[in-house]
Amino acid sequence: MGVKPRATPLLLGLAFLLLTLRATAQVAIAVVVNPGNPITNISRGDLRKILAGEKHSWPRGQPIKLIERGPGCIERLVLLRFLAMSESEYKQYWTAQVFRGDADAEPLTVPSVGMQKEAMALFSGAISLVDAKDVKPGMKVIQVDGLLPGAPGYPLH
Amino acid sequence: MARSRTNARIHCALLVLLLALASCWAQNDSPNSSEHDQETIAHLVEQIKQLQQQDHDLLERIKILEAKQQTSPVAETDTASPPMPSPEPAEQTPPPQSAPGDWREVRGIQWHGFGETDYKVLNQRQPELGTYGFVPGSAGNFYTGDFGLFLTSRLTDKTSMLSEIIFEDRDAQSYKVDLRRMLLKYDRNEHLKFSFGRYQTNIGYYNWAFRSAAWLQTTADRPLVMEYASNGGLLPTQAIGLSVTGAIPSGKLGLNYVAEYGSSDTIRPDINGTGLVNDENNGNHVNVGFYVRPEVVPGLQIGASYYHDKISNFIQGPSLRYGQSIVNSYFVYVGHGVEFLNEGFLIRDAALHFSDVVFNTSAFYSQISKKLGPIRPFFRYQYVNASSNNSIYDDVGLRAGPSLGARYDLNDYIAFKAQLDNTVRRGEPDLDGLQLQLAFTF
Repeated sequence: MGVKPRATPLLLGLAFLLLTLRATAQVAIAVVVNPGNPITNISRGDLRKILAGEKHSWPRGQPIKLIERGPGCIERLVLLRFLAMSESEYKQYWTAQVFRGDADAEPLTVPSVGMQKEAMALFSGAISLVDAKDVKPGMKVIQVDGLLPGAPGYPLH
Repeated sequence: MARSRTNARIHCALLVLLLALASCWAQNDSPNSSEHDQETIAHLVEQIKQLQQQDHDLLERIKILEAKQQTSPVAETDTASPPMPSPEPAEQTPPPQSAPGDWREVRGIQWHGFGETDYKVLNQRQPELGTYGFVPGSAGNFYTGDFGLFLTSRLTDKTSMLSEIIFEDRDAQSYKVDLRRMLLKYDRNEHLKFSFGRYQTNIGYYNWAFRSAAWLQTTADRPLVMEYASNGGLLPTQAIGLSVTGAIPSGKLGLNYVAEYGSSDTIRPDINGTGLVNDENNGNHVNVGFYVRPEVVPGLQIGASYYHDKISNFIQGPSLRYGQSIVNSYFVYVGHGVEFLNEGFLIRDAALHFSDVVFNTSAFYSQISKKLGPIRPFFRYQYVNASSNNSIYDDVGLRAGPSLGARYDLNDYIAFKAQLDNTVRRGEPDLDGLQLQLAFTF
């Protein structure tokens, strides 16, 4: 019977440890746009359309420029999970988009966060996915369905 | 003391157990984590290969630049020129306009291509189905189908061009060049997108989704009703004119429209081996369609369209005109590796003068496939029924039957397909066929 009072704080501490481990196991991915873009929030449906190349312009008519990380990056894996596609299906999908004439070209793929940042600065209609911990000045993080990265219910992780 | 030791042991055991559980939980975030790990490793290997290739490309470029510097007299003698400005800060270095190593873009023109090599065996007793270079009457032969070059270029923020040039395999390995699409596009916004030039009529889903590229298709051939008119298909697939598309504000319903007005000029060969070629002498057509892509079910697309034109019956002479109306509806789901295509058509040809003859032709196809790793087995059933007194599609008659096969993706650019067909015909023996296809894109 005397075990309980001493075990309780220990168990609480371990529960906290579990939650910490759980949180670190999921990487939150931020949706970033050019800082000049007035948008602050996007719905999950619109985000899906943009990432799938079905939506081509922002509400003010500015063309959307999709900037992506290459295969193997966490941002790419999260993107594929979000669109429920494999890497090969995604490549085939974009080839089809171009052949149909629904897109001029496949998304711009960059190999580093630094180049991602520079591309964000160059294209005023740019949008990209970035690991939340790698977000840099010059990248404007927008909410998805009113949620910021890491918030419960945030769809990109 | 013994009790406190026992308690300490219990605590230690509990601690170890919970830590192990926590570790497992954190690492095994999903039941498919091992699959994800494999996928991640594969992606990392691919990325390393890409980086190595980029490194190799950069070294090659450095060598070329060094060689140019050594051979250029200007470079050697131009010592009096003002010093080169210092490199811009990293923040101002312009990013690449295209992906590193992106050989698809040349001077702002994006180019792609596709092609195929086929082998077909058909147990025909009378020569027929001589399309795509297949020799009618042969037991089996090779042919190359369509070879396409696809060019796009963005001219301004809202204007772009697109062209699709096809080299069609014809009889006796001769090739015909067809400018299958050539469009100047102006996208005012999401709701209003104009295309001027030669387009592919938006009748149905299949032609919109797969265009001319065999590599995009799961099956080795197109359903007969969706074949290009130049290969015996029933629909007017090509036209020159204006096409307008866009999204209609409809919230999560995802409603879109398409409207076309243009001049078709459908010339279709008979597919029953007579050698006749029918020129329909089309007028100007109108085509209006709607489709929805509901947000709640990503990958689902449901649509319908109505097409109207005036055509001639080649056999009865160009003066006898028919009003041609084509109604189409489709239900398509493409997602989670599943492809489920269903389309139905009703083609109504009604004589406009001298007669009150009406020909109704119905057609549908249903196709299902599931991607299992690199293999995608598929099944398709198609049906086309032109009545026996239909003098416009007298070569078609009734054709129905299943197709069964599989597509194997060798890599991201090459696919091998094998397909077995059985076609039931009215008043004729069944046709059984085997098609093997190597389709690629570049």
